[in-house]
Amino acid sequence: MFSTSTQKKYWLFADESELLKARSEANAKFVASHGPKMTEEERNEILDANEEKALLKFYELQLRDFCRRFEPPMPRSVAGTAFHYFKRFYLIHSVMDYHPKEILVTCVYLATKVDEFNVSIDQFVRNVKGNQTKAMDIILNNELLLMQVLNYNLTIHNPFRPIEGLLIDIKTRGTMVDPERLRPGIEDFLDKAFLTSAPLLVAPSQLALAAVLHSVSKIGENLDNYVTKTLLGDSSSEALASLVEAVRKVRSMIKSMESSPKEVIRVLEKRLEKCRNQENNPDSEIYKKRQFEALHDEDEKYGSDFPSLIMSGDLKLGEGIFEINKSMTSP
Amino acid sequence: MDEQACPRCKTTKYRNPSLKLMVNVCGHALCDSCVDLLFLKGSGSCPDCGVPLRRSNFRVQIFEDPFVEKEMDIRRRVMRDYNLKEEDFANLQDYNNYLEEVERIVYNLTNNIEIVSTNQSIDRFKRENKDLIAKNRIRSGREEIILEELLEEEKLLVESRKRAIAHEEMLEKKKKMRSKEALIDELMFSEQSAASIVETFKKRKLEEQEELERHREPSPPPLVAATQFSTGIKFSQRIPKDGFLPVPKADDTPLFKYEPLVLTRNGPSAPTWEEVTEKKYINHVRESSVGERAGGYLPQLACLRALEEAFDGLRTVAVARWTGQVA
Repeated sequence: MFSTSTQKKYWLFADESELLKARSEANAKFVASHGPKMTEEERNEILDANEEKALLKFYELQLRDFCRRFEPPMPRSVAGTAFHYFKRFYLIHSVMDYHPKEILVTCVYLATKVDEFNVSIDQFVRNVKGNQTKAMDIILNNELLLMQVLNYNLTIHNPFRPIEGLLIDIKTRGTMVDPERLRPGIEDFLDKAFLTSAPLLVAPSQLALAAVLHSVSKIGENLDNYVTKTLLGDSSSEALASLVEAVRKVRSMIKSMESSPKEVIRVLEKRLEKCRNQENNPDSEIYKKRQFEALHDEDEKYGSDFPSLIMSGDLKLGEGIFEINKSMTSP
Repeated sequence: MDEQACPRCKTTKYRNPSLKLMVNVCGHALCDSCVDLLFLKGSGSCPDCGVPLRRSNFRVQIFEDPFVEKEMDIRRRVMRDYNLKEEDFANLQDYNNYLEEVERIVYNLTNNIEIVSTNQSIDRFKRENKDLIAKNRIRSGREEIILEELLEEEKLLVESRKRAIAHEEMLEKKKKMRSKEALIDELMFSEQSAASIVETFKKRKLEEQEELERHREPSPPPLVAATQFSTGIKFSQRIPKDGFLPVPKADDTPLFKYEPLVLTRNGPSAPTWEEVTEKKYINHVRESSVGERAGGYLPQLACLRALEEAFDGLRTVAVARWTGQVA
């Protein structure tokens, strides 16, 4: 149930200012820890919180398209879950720390697993453009990191089922003619909603109600009667007020949504390439060197005891070990 | 199988492996037929060492090595006197010293070393610890009695069960015999055709079988060994002084009570299972296919789930503050 879920307990914030706080904190943390290590040139390229936000919005669009074009066809809830993970991840980490391209695919992969839409890693990377082995490595390496950042709160409640429930209720208790007309409007609204921060601020059922009301107003009808009397007939006026407030918040967020033009994004991407944390860049020399060392260090440190130590569980195999072989042998 | 032969009638051992070797206090073995022969007269002497022996001294040999038998014998004798337990000593060190003393004595006696002085130390010990020895004798005696009683009870149970079964079998057999005889008589003397007589008998047999199964008599309860007087006082020392009484069942622990799950729902309540069908919510849900219904999936489930999720959390007011979660 949503009311007892970790989503409500830990990942539902009071308002946008909280999110802003989180993002600027993540940004500042990155600058503080990596700024000194960077060259003068790199330091000029550092993105601030707003630029990060723009980039994230762009990548969320990419996420949406990736899920839409996915083969086999992906259910909406998987996409919703992936969106949630993506948003949460970038509350904690800065864009420069982990590139959104990589986290994007990792989020989707984890979402397919959690939502029980089982896709093997091979099938998954077939949907990725570009070097697929590299993609596979990236995903598998980042998966555990992603889970850790999410604090292992992996169950996400999406608004899709509440939508169905509301439609059923409207058909049964409401007075509207053919509520099925609402569906396209609802879909459109939810698509936009997932590109905002709305899922981090309101409950999924509230989001669903907002979608329904928006769609209703689009076709020119009015369901306020239904909402006040039938839906919330038995509860207090303050409950009604808070619900109205939540719905209004969502709708205003969607209205004020804007996307930056492509050139701006391209510039930002270039800057990101320069200022990103090279340790987490699988293309960088540092990363490869680190993996190499990790492999050989382990060999030298433990020598012939290595297998037995692994068996007893004292020593965990770094994923880098498998990774390194692939990246060394990949063309 | 013994590799050894009886020292007297050597040949007989190989021919009859079931012959048992009897051993006595001097440690020399004799097969039971030789024992009979030698001690027909009542008393005799060991053929190997000439020690005068009586027939009662012979015990069935348990160990192949007569030396071990001898030591066992001596140990048994010594332990009858040296029967102190750990509780009788002040500390562990003393107890260990006592145990070592016992071993020394047994060793000496078995290997015929310093027999005289060893016997003297035994006597000294007996005199000094007379009370302790006596007390321990009584204590062990009690434990043995309890064990014996338990064994007897078990035996009685087994026997009574056997008797009951045997009795039943006998009854069955008799019945069969009687019915067979009756059938033969009928065939001989009655005037009906043979086939019809056989038919009637078959029917009667079936009826009797059914009746038997219906009125299966409860078998007589097994005889329980009398352990108490009619007033309820137990007349055997079933419970040793330092043994354990059966733990009384604590009746104060509360029984499991089912408490239905209480769901906190921050919104209006969803309809119940019955309401979902009655109030026609169900009409708006796709009917479950045959395959789905086989798995127990009813459309009410989907309907209820959607409605619950739609209503759950409608009144949520988010209050979480960003507190700097650390990745």
